Amino acid sequence: MLEPQMLFVKDLEVEREGNRILRGISMQVHPGEICGVLGRNGAGKSSLAYAIMGLPQYAPRKGRIWFDGEDITEWGVTERARAGITLAWQHPARYEGILVRDYLKLSKPDAGEEDLEEALKLVQMEPFYLDRMVDKGLSGGERKRIELSSIYLMKPRLAILDEPDSGVDLLALGEVMGLFKLLASGGSSVLIITHREDVAAACDRSYLMCAGKMILEGSAAAVKRYFLSQCEPCVEQKPENTGEAALNHA
Amino acid sequence: MHNLSEEYKTLVSIAERTGGQPGSFGSEDVIYIVVHGNRILASHALPGVLIEASETGDGIDARIIVQAQTKVSKPVHLCFGHLADSGRQVIRSRIFLEEGSSAEFQAHCIFPNAIEFLHAMEGEIHLGPGSAFSYREVHVHGPEGRIDVRPVSRVRIDERAVYRGDFTLVEGRVGNLAIDIDVEAHGRRSRVEVTSKIYGKFDDFCQVRDIVRLTGAESTALIKARVVLKDRSQGKFLGLVDGAAPGARGHVDCTEVVQGEARAVASPVVQASHPEAEVTHEAAIGRIADEKIQGLMAKGLSADAAIDFVVSGLLR
Repeated sequence: MLEPQMLFVKDLEVEREGNRILRGISMQVHPGEICGVLGRNGAGKSSLAYAIMGLPQYAPRKGRIWFDGEDITEWGVTERARAGITLAWQHPARYEGILVRDYLKLSKPDAGEEDLEEALKLVQMEPFYLDRMVDKGLSGGERKRIELSSIYLMKPRLAILDEPDSGVDLLALGEVMGLFKLLASGGSSVLIITHREDVAAACDRSYLMCAGKMILEGSAAAVKRYFLSQCEPCVEQKPENTGEAALNHA
Repeated sequence: MHNLSEEYKTLVSIAERTGGQPGSFGSEDVIYIVVHGNRILASHALPGVLIEASETGDGIDARIIVQAQTKVSKPVHLCFGHLADSGRQVIRSRIFLEEGSSAEFQAHCIFPNAIEFLHAMEGEIHLGPGSAFSYREVHVHGPEGRIDVRPVSRVRIDERAVYRGDFTLVEGRVGNLAIDIDVEAHGRRSRVEVTSKIYGKFDDFCQVRDIVRLTGAESTALIKARVVLKDRSQGKFLGLVDGAAPGARGHVDCTEVVQGEARAVASPVVQASHPEAEVTHEAAIGRIADEKIQGLMAKGLSADAAIDFVVSGLLR
């Protein structure tokens, strides 16, 4: 019997500025699963996240994306978000003059103070941050944690988290992983994009990505083992130059 | 013909909704004045503050004196407006804060139905030694039509006095706006902050001219403008600080965001006419970054709602 799929990507190809940055990607994420996409810098992981979220700059030239059985390949970002997909950017944008409270309420307009405080607590932040501006006086790590708490408040059906640990100190990393597990236990699927094998190892299942292609799928432990033993940084970052060589190497 | 009390209720309810404290108008412990066209509908003063206002053919003349050492604890509310779609209103005011006094004025300029209207504010402000004055002017215009808005202020600041001016026009059409602020900080250690926040739409035209002359030793100034222009609106900003005294410090900070076919020109001008003065500037004109809009769309906002959210923060 086939497992139900929350996200199903088939033969996805994306080209930017003459370079094929995604080359026939196929993958799936199951309901309530924490799925990792592991790869070195420049492998195309963030591009994959943007393509799934529907950013027009990453519109596929080939391939399809299904979400909960619906073909969403032609859908825009807002439509996908309203269907339950969201993305936490690796570097959250700075919004001038916006209170953390107002930013979090975008994710859950009817959230009360208790909801907001709980969401902050889950990422190790005190309630007083609600009255701070998201663009001023916050470190990159703090902004990252606020972004993750906003994802928690949304309770999306699929959360795509691009390098969720970047800027977050090691002590807080455990709490952040706990947040993903909490999301998954509530029924959300979580797709974690990461270049860190220890983050990918905490997932239920992982993919290994290299030069715009998926080169391995398996248990998180197996993918981590392969990554540590076989993968080396690519000499060139441009996929056109490195794709086949990297794949041959892998 | 409008009923006077209805005009009062309408103006006051909009004023309270757009930054005024609910219950301020009509309160015994708050100073206020409400003017519809050239009619003074209500006025209330407190000890230490003198208000002399008279009706003219097209508006009012007002003289307000905050007497020496008087600290006005609650904001003074000035509500000027008109509910008609055409006409003119000219508010001429002279405001004097005597030595050691302090007050915060909130002017609510409300023209919800204006299509062809001229609203001019001609203000002379003099701050005595050690006084502190904050003047915040918020405009509310209707969604359609054009209104000519001419806020003109001449401000003179004595030693150790502090002036903060804040002009906000983000609700409804801007129309044809020409802000003209000229401040002379001639007192030693006087301080000036002038801020403009404007949201232009359709074919609005927004012109801001903020000039501060720092002629007092160790005086300081900050001119700040946040202008968002969309559709086919146009904006021109001139911010000039002249450091003309020893130890004077000034800064001009202008950010203009353009969307659609809007056009913007920003001219931050700094000039040091005294060798021991220091003046700096920064200016940026650009679109709202895609990543900001898409970041909000990934939370379910439409592109327009995402832009409005970003703008609301910028103009906060």
